[in-house]
Amino acid sequence: MTSRGTPSRFLRSVLQNGVGRYVCQLKRVSIVFSKKGQSSLGMRDFIEEGVVDFAKNNPGIVVYVSPQPCNVPKIVAEYLSGNTKTEPVTNKTSQQILEVLTKLTNQSGLDIVRLRKPFHTDSPSIQGQWHPFTNRPPSIGPIRPQSAE
Amino acid sequence: MVNHRKTEEEELGMRSKFKSPVKMAVSRGLMSVWRTHCGVFPRYLFPAAVRAQSSTSGNTLPHTSLSRPPWEGQVSLVPAEVERSRHAAVVRAVQQRLQRQDFGRLFAVVHFAGRQWKVTDEDLILIENHIEAECGERIRMEKVLLVGAGDFSLVGRPLLGKDLVRVEATVIEKTESWPKVLMRFWKRHRFQYKKIIVQPQTVLRINSIELSPRLS
Repeated sequence: MTSRGTPSRFLRSVLQNGVGRYVCQLKRVSIVFSKKGQSSLGMRDFIEEGVVDFAKNNPGIVVYVSPQPCNVPKIVAEYLSGNTKTEPVTNKTSQQILEVLTKLTNQSGLDIVRLRKPFHTDSPSIQGQWHPFTNRPPSIGPIRPQSAE
Repeated sequence: MVNHRKTEEEELGMRSKFKSPVKMAVSRGLMSVWRTHCGVFPRYLFPAAVRAQSSTSGNTLPHTSLSRPPWEGQVSLVPAEVERSRHAAVVRAVQQRLQRQDFGRLFAVVHFAGRQWKVTDEDLILIENHIEAECGERIRMEKVLLVGAGDFSLVGRPLLGKDLVRVEATVIEKTESWPKVLMRFWKRHRFQYKKIIVQPQTVLRINSIELSPRLS
């Protein structure tokens, strides 16, 4: 849809992340897959090879692996802001699943909607916001063009 | 003491004296208040400066039809020594502030990712591409064009020195943009296509802007 027809938000971070230290916003990852299903083949390979390394590299993220009978293997990511994001990973290879996981790790949990401005400041003016009387000497009488003297 | 805004030009090794117009105060005969012009005057408005530059320094710009404006050069209303002493006073005042580090919040104009941003501490910036730095890494922005505090600002020509300013930022987030729809349709021509564009985005948080205590 158009940007007018879809929701939008302003650029922000969760709890001033980055001002002090950076905190990874992803808190929990649940990997849902089936033990016998062709769509979960890549997921099973990923669980054999890559999931342990991923969990070790990101000690702040809890990884749950739950085999269930399902048609569509998914990754459910929960963030510190409370949002939940579900990514279907049907028929993806192990490498692609790792990329999806990296992308989810690097995101903050805020909605992926149109951002109104690509910047955000809490102190927009330092030298004082301009108004028509800034840098203007007071005068009595009409203002005339300055004659060269 | 009148706290008026002053501008100090940062000289990148070339000392060129150009006459900044001292406005209305002198012509009206006010002895106590004088101001150097607060804004940035581009150099092409001062043909005297261009001539001075061509005579003193080696690298000259070729004279074209746009080297100087078509109107006559501006005559300074103030003798040269007075102006030089005023410039020196401004420089001394700014150097004192820098040494004592008694300015409050600083802002900077930074050239990054093909754009210029006016940036303070603790503010967020969104870049529409991926940067080769992981989330949580600290980045230094090197192209700084202008740094200002409440009372003074340092203007680079065009950049300020790396040993003078330090602007540091942290990468907070590397996401994708919202799915933008690109659709073309021509009626009665059986022509249409639709494409969903998702762009990588990086969010930076500016951590600090620091000025060194010595000018130049």
